[in-house]
Amino acid sequence: MNSTVRRELVIAAFLIAFGGAVVAQARQIPPGVTTDPLGPAAFPSALGWGIAVCGLLLGAATLVFRGQSSGTTAVLADATPDDDASAEGGPFSPARLIGAIVATAAYLAAFTPLGYLLATPLYVVVVMLIHGGAGKRALLLAPLLVTAALYATFRYGLLIPVPAGILEGIVR
Amino acid sequence: MSFIDNLLAGFATALAGPGILVMIGGVAWGIIGGAIPGISGAVAMALALPYTFGLDAATALVMLAGVWAGANYGGSIPAILMRMPGTPAAAAALLDGYELKRQGYASKALGISLICGTIGGLVSVIVLIAMVVPLGNAVLAFASPETFALALFGLTLIAGLTERSFLKGLAAGFFGLLLTTIGLDTLTGSLRFTFGRSEFLSGMDIVSVMVGLFAVSEMFYQLSHPAGRPPELEGNASTALPTLAELRSVGRATVVGTIVGIIVGIMPGAGATASSFVAYNEARRWSKRPDLFGKGSMEGVAAPETANNAVQGGDLVPTLALGIPGSNSAAIMLAALILHGIVPGPFLLTRHTGLVFTLFAGLIIVNLLMIPVGLVILRGCLAVLRLAPPVLVGSILAIVVIGTYAADLFILNPVLALVFGIIGYGMRIYGFSAAATVLGMVLGVLVESELRRSLLISLGSWSIFVTRPISAVLLVLTLGVLIYPAVMYAQTRRRARLVSAGGAAGTG
Repeated sequence: MNSTVRRELVIAAFLIAFGGAVVAQARQIPPGVTTDPLGPAAFPSALGWGIAVCGLLLGAATLVFRGQSSGTTAVLADATPDDDASAEGGPFSPARLIGAIVATAAYLAAFTPLGYLLATPLYVVVVMLIHGGAGKRALLLAPLLVTAALYATFRYGLLIPVPAGILEGIVR
Repeated sequence: MSFIDNLLAGFATALAGPGILVMIGGVAWGIIGGAIPGISGAVAMALALPYTFGLDAATALVMLAGVWAGANYGGSIPAILMRMPGTPAAAAALLDGYELKRQGYASKALGISLICGTIGGLVSVIVLIAMVVPLGNAVLAFASPETFALALFGLTLIAGLTERSFLKGLAAGFFGLLLTTIGLDTLTGSLRFTFGRSEFLSGMDIVSVMVGLFAVSEMFYQLSHPAGRPPELEGNASTALPTLAELRSVGRATVVGTIVGIIVGIMPGAGATASSFVAYNEARRWSKRPDLFGKGSMEGVAAPETANNAVQGGDLVPTLALGIPGSNSAAIMLAALILHGIVPGPFLLTRHTGLVFTLFAGLIIVNLLMIPVGLVILRGCLAVLRLAPPVLVGSILAIVVIGTYAADLFILNPVLALVFGIIGYGMRIYGFSAAATVLGMVLGVLVESELRRSLLISLGSWSIFVTRPISAVLLVLTLGVLIYPAVMYAQTRRRARLVSAGGAAGTG
């Protein structure tokens, strides 16, 4: 079994499990105070079934057409390019992806308690370091300029309060 | 009110208050966003979406229309100057645009792109107005069953056209529909998928979901798939508007581009990229100098650039007349409506006539604004293009967080954007269409409410969908779209078997 077939089967299994979980959760939806012929659970339940059936068909198609070069792709495919797909990049780096997700999660956690003005430059620096290729001057200046520009836009342009965090009292 | 009165009122509304400034800002951001590789028109629009909260629905729509129009032109700037298309649709203009730059005609190529794009955009808006009004009146005969069937048809059509795998596209569309069921069910008062969290009572914030699926996932992709350094932008550039004689020389290509762009735009899911390549090929076929194509032909720039701008008007025909968005960008326009409490659907024109006519007027104005803004903003674009990719990625992620937070000062929104950024990344890697999910979210409210309303009318009888002719036809079409890939595959297999059997007989 080649890696593409294995991957498609894992995706199919995920869709079946996800659809099943949706159906199970939908069964727990209370009928509510008034009832219509369908009720509040029927539509999400049908969607759960729909997702599971898509998974089932995907799995079946993958198994039936495995080993045929044009098999799965032909029956399931459409050659129209996705209009918004950007150009493909270089090789995949899982460390960079995990780093970016962790950095963003940490930034969101620090956003209110630490405050926008302190958390944002740190976040931009970390993202730039994860990306790599930024010079020292860019690492020093860009985060400060981005933070200041966005702060000015929101605080003074759009009059939207941004969290001051530990700078509360200093920044108004 | 007559048609002319409505249109004049639309111009008055579009230009009132901050309207003109908002449109200039929208076009400027669109051009800059479109010029940044990786920031497609839809991503630029998704990033602008949180900033429309403070605006009324009409102003928000014209601003987004400006971003959309601007991004169509912006993509050609790095394509011509750096051989690096800012948007996928600009890849066709690169073929001759960069050749012209090498020959020292970069300014002329940029000017042709700007003017022809504006012409394509303006003509497509006129066609849009001419088509939407009669189509919008035709759907007056639609009741709940027809509206449900139409929304279902739109969903399956887009799911099938926008992604490589039809089944994955369909599953992604179902996922989008499912997201709209989260929260309080307005018909029965039941809580659905809230998991005891009061934050989810009003459902998922569509802006955060869209920003996550389009913008955050793209940034994560760029971070985790680091490409080499982009080509250096040498020297400065300017835009030289074409003379009348030059415009006449690309007239045929401009006409071809406009026609192709409008037709492709009307077809849901086909999009600007397809239109620009089709227009390029057709312009070469109709050209008096096809030998120049690929070697620095002005027509080779004019045709694709006209087409990708003309797509906008065509794209909005099914969006405004039927409530079926033909592309990601059109879906974002509809999301902006949802954001302002307007449920998109086939009755948009009749129930929100003023809004639709303001959008018509706004589209004409933003296309006209493209020329002055495009001339002025070029220097800013070049400055942004000179920024290193890490600076751009870091800045855009910071913009996403503050933008989604500022929408209603709620930290859950940027958290949602992060979660859907991860989901969108996974969807992209495993071949699922984020566009289908967004479409599901946009059509979800309509699909479920019209389905349940139809069954209320029929006292629970499903026959209501097949006894009404329009609804029955739409459902048959939906079924056709669903089984089409399998039929096509069976035919291909049979043909292949016949060919191989013939080949075997021949050799035997």
